[in-house]
Amino acid sequence: MTTPLLEAGAGVGVGTRRRPLGRRAAVAGLLGLAALAILGPLLLPDPTAQDLGRYLEAPSLDEPLGRDDYGRSVLARLAHATRLSLVLAALCVATALVLGTVAGIASAWFGGWIDAVLRAVSEAFVAIPALLVVLLVSALASGGSLWALYLGLALAQWVEYFRVVRARSGLVLGSPAVEAAGLLRLGALHVVRRHLWPDLRPLLTTLASLGMVTSILAMSTLGFVKVGLQPPRAELGLMITESFPFYDVAPWLSIAPIAVLFLLTICFLALRDPEVRP
Amino acid sequence: MADHRADVVVVTPRRKELARVLAHRGGQGLGVAVLVSVLCFLVVRTLPGDAAYRIAAGRYGYDLVDQEAADAVRAELGLDRPAWRQLADWLLDLFQLDLGRSLVTSRPVVEEVGYYLLGTLQLAAVSLAIAIVIGAGAGVLAARRPGGPMDRLATAWVASVRAVPPFLLGLLLVVVLSAQLGLLPAVGHGGAASIVLPALTLGIGLSGLVARITRDAVVEVRASAYVQFAQTKGLPERWVLVRHVVRNAAVVLVPYLGVQAVILIEGVVVVESLFSWQGLGHAMVHAVFWRDVPVLQATALVLALLIVAVNTLVDLAVLWLDPRPRRLEVAA
Amino acid sequence: MTDQTPTDQAPADQAPDDQAPAAHDLVVHHAAVRHGTTLLAEVDDLRLVAGRALTIVGESGSGKSVLAHALMGTLPGELSATGSMSIGRTRFDLAETAGRRHLWGRQLALLPQEPALALDPTMRVRAQVAEGASSWRPRDPRSLRLADERLSRLGLAHAGAAYPHTLSGGMAQRVAHAAATIGGARILIVDEPSKGLDRHSLDQLADLLEAHLAGGGLLLTITHDLELARRLGGSVLVMREATVVESGPAEQVLTTPGHAYTQALVAAEPSRWTYPWMRDVAAPDPAGEPLITARGISKSYGSDPLFHDFSLEVRAGERWALTGPSGVGKTTLGNALLRLTPVDHGSVSHGAAAAGGRLQKLYQDPALSFPPRVPLEVALRDVVRRHGAGASRLRALLEEVGLPYEILQRRPSQVSGGELQRIAIVRAMLPRPALVFADEATSRLDLATQATTMDSLMSEVTEYGCALLLVTHNQDLARAVAHRQVRLGDDAAAAGGRTTGPDPVAAAVT
Repeated sequence: MTTPLLEAGAGVGVGTRRRPLGRRAAVAGLLGLAALAILGPLLLPDPTAQDLGRYLEAPSLDEPLGRDDYGRSVLARLAHATRLSLVLAALCVATALVLGTVAGIASAWFGGWIDAVLRAVSEAFVAIPALLVVLLVSALASGGSLWALYLGLALAQWVEYFRVVRARSGLVLGSPAVEAAGLLRLGALHVVRRHLWPDLRPLLTTLASLGMVTSILAMSTLGFVKVGLQPPRAELGLMITESFPFYDVAPWLSIAPIAVLFLLTICFLALRDPEVRP
Repeated sequence: MADHRADVVVVTPRRKELARVLAHRGGQGLGVAVLVSVLCFLVVRTLPGDAAYRIAAGRYGYDLVDQEAADAVRAELGLDRPAWRQLADWLLDLFQLDLGRSLVTSRPVVEEVGYYLLGTLQLAAVSLAIAIVIGAGAGVLAARRPGGPMDRLATAWVASVRAVPPFLLGLLLVVVLSAQLGLLPAVGHGGAASIVLPALTLGIGLSGLVARITRDAVVEVRASAYVQFAQTKGLPERWVLVRHVVRNAAVVLVPYLGVQAVILIEGVVVVESLFSWQGLGHAMVHAVFWRDVPVLQATALVLALLIVAVNTLVDLAVLWLDPRPRRLEVAA
Repeated sequence: MTDQTPTDQAPADQAPDDQAPAAHDLVVHHAAVRHGTTLLAEVDDLRLVAGRALTIVGESGSGKSVLAHALMGTLPGELSATGSMSIGRTRFDLAETAGRRHLWGRQLALLPQEPALALDPTMRVRAQVAEGASSWRPRDPRSLRLADERLSRLGLAHAGAAYPHTLSGGMAQRVAHAAATIGGARILIVDEPSKGLDRHSLDQLADLLEAHLAGGGLLLTITHDLELARRLGGSVLVMREATVVESGPAEQVLTTPGHAYTQALVAAEPSRWTYPWMRDVAAPDPAGEPLITARGISKSYGSDPLFHDFSLEVRAGERWALTGPSGVGKTTLGNALLRLTPVDHGSVSHGAAAAGGRLQKLYQDPALSFPPRVPLEVALRDVVRRHGAGASRLRALLEEVGLPYEILQRRPSQVSGGELQRIAIVRAMLPRPALVFADEATSRLDLATQATTMDSLMSEVTEYGCALLLVTHNQDLARAVAHRQVRLGDDAAAAGGRTTGPDPVAAAVT
């Protein structure tokens, strides 16, 4: 029953359409957080400066988010933690995206043994949770090195881009449109610019947004299980863990990092391309 | 395809498909085993500081340890052999299912891992059940009126669950159910009540994706030509649901449970640590902390193989649910 | 529409003797379907009588399918129906759908479009047919036996245990027919049965529909296939833009139509075409180098041979048709001749005149042959640049096929199928091709659109003197367009050959 007119009815609701309003709000939210991450460390006092006399000081005009159990400024620590999360996550996502996309397109374009090798490698990677790779790699460096965290997260995520890009590129490259481009002798550049890239872009936007969420959450989770970054570094997961014992006497300690974490992930989730539902 | 050669019915070779699924997943399992082993091995080789020293410290305490004790540990564990021999030996032992002994407790790793595996399987099974009940229930309710209030509620639920990491969800549940209301024990392993919090944490975390996939699948199937035809054939609505909607929605949903396996196992690691649940994740985090390499390798391996096992079950379920020939690319 | 006579006067002699005339007729009064305020279909008076077919013909979008769903009570939520319908003495309000559900399958049955999609892919055929029986209960052997009996009567006894994906289009159509009618409904509504079916399968379906009529059933068929409408006879209603423009007995309306629109519709059938390019054809040079030379090529899918030891030479200016029923391998053969598909044995070589992008192809679904996410202008600009055609030539070509230049600012999905196929023709003509391979290029289009599209293509082909390779399952179209034919099919599936005969309809199989 697929008369065009009836089709319109049947298709309604197969996937909620996220309004562009949501995306604009997400961009605004992320810009705000980025401002905190960029300007905060420049303008605010040293986040490691302890002042035990101001132990668990409540929020005030002078110190909007109060002070923690070492008397450190929560706002300053939060700004540093946000910057760390954003920069490290962006680096991981960029690395995984470039690696996975190039490998995926190569796999679909050339086929043959290149495809076979890349697929075998990805098959093994896909069954290993990101967290496990990160755990293993961060065991490499005691004391929670940033380098290990970056390597682990990027290594764990490239396979996702590879699989999606390979599958999608295979469809695009096998389509009549690309066959027609071949008959018209339009060349590889035309295929990449007009066929592959326009098709992959919304997918990659969505994957990268989700990748940011995954990276940020993985970092904070590792801080929580005490194998990621180590205190006294300001990191969202660590801040949540450290503040937990004080949740009833100093709730601002917990609420601030939780709110930032939640805001970061929600904004990135809303940034996904509404057409794509992975 | 072949109208002119009318009325030839091709019977799908199910047994062939079954063999293909098993061969594919078997190969994947093998690849995973090698990858995890090599990764673990590299980790150990590049460990800064002296592993033996640290292990000795773990055994005797930092105050009592000296270079001599560390050397004894080194010799005992064979850490003084060349790197490639250690790797070859480990792989060889692995295929004989000899996983060595824990550097910390000196008990055979197989025994330890067996014990922890049971804990993990219990937790995973209960969590998955919770995720399916909550998720599928919410998804079906949301699908009744796409765009309706239930649907919007479910969408908000899905997004918030995705945005909250499991450890945070666990902490919140502890605060609410254990500390504030005093309903449940927060940590520990033993008794039926102790599984509720960790399982709830994991299950709620997973339920978001289940709900979204279920909703989309049910909406799509209900709008499909075959469901409409079943209705106009005169089949009562109840039977249309039971015979056509449920099965076809499951065809879409089940492969996603395979994808979920990765998230489930990740969650297991975190939630077990949070609630001190005696499982593989808990054991692994400890092993990382104490540089207990044999246990680290074994737990990582078993966790990864668990994912392959879940995916094998998913493949078999899909094979049973959906007779159409397919490519094995849906699940992880 | 007051000047219109009721569709059918229901002569008493056509109703079965044991029933009082009109007592079981289906009568529709002032039916209209709207989407918001837009009128989608409107029929003042329509009467369906036992034993006499009623067929609604018209182009897609004319509202004929919507009307069928309004009668059935299966309109999607945002479409609203008004008017009423009576079956015998019972009257139903079309606006209210719930009241007709108990009729489904028992009195009122619908044979849906694209039966392959209407069968549950996860359930065996036999169980799906049995579900429609009025005695159906879960795990009840009686309805299953009834289903087996129905299936074997249709020559499908062996298909009962099969899953739908293993059935051909024609088989799926007959299975769907069994499932729709097993409940004993006297009123059968058939929605666009010709979609994706070749002539042979359609004939088999027509036999079933005639049997339904002969058994005293009522039949309403929705189709754009005039051939099927003629075959079923009875009365015909012609719809255009939501309203009925002409109605009357089939033989009268479809042979000597009164309304201008119906006249155009009938004239658009390939067998009635009279275009200038059909007459003056330059004789191809028999001594020239062939554009395509295929020697002893074979190809099979699994153990299924598509063609075997097939040889063919295509020269400049020749017009070839590859015909045969669907699934026989025509497209694969065409692709093999363009070297888009590798062959198992033999060789295909292209002459010097065909080098450098001078072999072009038109696709069955033009929307799939353009990059979907960029505007058409951007996609075509690359072609213009690559072949140095110049923007003026692009404009000239667009004008020749009757399209405004501004249409190129849209994306492929925003242009209708017929327009997009004409843009594809323009694109194929930009490199001044030596040969165009049209792969079922008009099979998804309405009759009238097919005629304009084919006219555009053949005018270009004639003007630039390029050769044509036409793949089609439509014998009439092949006769109208091509001079030489290769017919793949039943007896000839495994054989191949080359025609030399001047006879335009020579079956080219040795």
